[in-house]
Amino acid sequence: MAMRRSVATLIRNFRNVVPRSDLFLHSHATSFGFKEVREEEKSKLVGNVFSSVASSYDIMNDLMSGGLHRLWKHRLVSKLHPFPGMKHLDVAGGTGDVAFRILESIKSVRYRDVQGVLDGFGETQIYVCDINPNMLSVGKNRAIEKGLGDEQSLVWIEGDAEALSFNDLSMDGYTIAFGIRNVTHMEKALAEAYRVLKRGGRFLCLELSHVEAPLFKQIYDYYSFAVIPAMGELVAGDRESYQYLVESIRRFPNQETFAQMMADTGFEKVEYENLVGGVVAIHSGVKL
Amino acid sequence: MIRSATYRLLQHSSASFAGLRLPTPFIRFSAEASSTPPPPQDPVIPTLQETPVHSKVGDDGADHKKRNPKTNLGGGYAEEQARVLRAALSHVPKLGWSESAMISGARDVGVSPSIVGSFPRREAALVEFFMDDCLQRLTDRIDSGEELNSLILSDRLTKLIRTRLEMQARPMNLPTSLKQRAFLVDEVWHAAGDQGSDVDWYVKRTVLGGIYSTCEVYMITDRSSDFCDSWNFLEHRVRDAFDLKKTLQENFFVAAREDL
Repeated sequence: MAMRRSVATLIRNFRNVVPRSDLFLHSHATSFGFKEVREEEKSKLVGNVFSSVASSYDIMNDLMSGGLHRLWKHRLVSKLHPFPGMKHLDVAGGTGDVAFRILESIKSVRYRDVQGVLDGFGETQIYVCDINPNMLSVGKNRAIEKGLGDEQSLVWIEGDAEALSFNDLSMDGYTIAFGIRNVTHMEKALAEAYRVLKRGGRFLCLELSHVEAPLFKQIYDYYSFAVIPAMGELVAGDRESYQYLVESIRRFPNQETFAQMMADTGFEKVEYENLVGGVVAIHSGVKL
Repeated sequence: MIRSATYRLLQHSSASFAGLRLPTPFIRFSAEASSTPPPPQDPVIPTLQETPVHSKVGDDGADHKKRNPKTNLGGGYAEEQARVLRAALSHVPKLGWSESAMISGARDVGVSPSIVGSFPRREAALVEFFMDDCLQRLTDRIDSGEELNSLILSDRLTKLIRTRLEMQARPMNLPTSLKQRAFLVDEVWHAAGDQGSDVDWYVKRTVLGGIYSTCEVYMITDRSSDFCDSWNFLEHRVRDAFDLKKTLQENFFVAAREDL
């Protein structure tokens, strides 16, 4: 009896609490690295990070990964298996790294002998979407350097992964390389990816993930927390941004959890592949 | 009939509980009987009995399920993959066993060709699908056909191999994987009414595998109408196998006599 009464009190108290919490519904705390910040702040802070590192972004990537990020991106594209006439969306790909590789892959000799067959499927279109105009301009400049300045297939768009400006069922592929970690609401970004993909379209996500192997984990942690911020300070003159980078990696859900999030969004055949023992992972899923 | 029904049922049930990104071998190995040979009972001289057998249905369907591991991946996806590959087959004569054929197939069924990138082993997936599909059709044909029972064993084998070879008569150049051939040979023996469970098991499968492959090779250069020559060739090879068996038995018999 006493217990029942106490439960009832508890429920009553709880009811009193709920309406008040409505106030905070749109200003949840979210993570910015290890710091807890308000949601509206995160996107601003992430924006600052990328604006400040945009110019040295590529050289830092090479330094931090020992050039491996090139191989990872290559692996991502070979898993995607682009085809002529594809409509592809690369989110958070401002510097064009992934987009250029996709374009190259499509143009490769392998397809030339069957051009006649696949030509009738319309123009190839690769949309590069990034929330940060500084990163986009880095990519545009690189396109010009590569002689792709007037390439019709490349479309540069400033946009938010959580609210894409594309129609439903309009894309054959969606890639996001080292980007989803920086999105405030990952679920929203996943739902948007699911929305814009056609039936049979694929979602691929390349992201720094979690290392489990015992000894390697210690080495990796030391490298992340001692070497990378120092490197950032030295090369990019910005220790804070790279401190954020390594912290945000640790806050990112592990491989299994992220795969579950993808499955919850509705993706089928969700798989992931660990590269370098889980330093990065490629998650893939199909929309049906 | 029962057999193929069981097969499909098993396929379905396994598809429903196969986890999302779970490596399928776990499921395959734990939940199924494999088609490994039964333990030898008594080591006798290989016997191929040339008498019509009347009952052949009713054996376990479990070993038939194993042959199509791809379909265990998860209901919707596996189905979609099968649909794309089936449509792709119609492009094979023109485009070959290529990715272009699969991309065209995906377009035909209204699915983004992107899905092709998610097929394991890509082009090989198409060939494997074709092989599995043929085997399924052969099983269906066996289960529905009554005429088999009235034939003697050698004729029954000839007919079954011929049925199967006819299926691939159009796209000729088929790489045959050993595993799929093993399943095929297994299926043909089952259908022919063989229920042997002795050392013989190996002999029979080796012999039939040999006959099947030889005929396949023969067909490649066969230009006769409707592969007439191939079918004669097949008939003779089956005869040879039975003659060989008889010769062996005679030898043993003579040897035994001389011992006395």
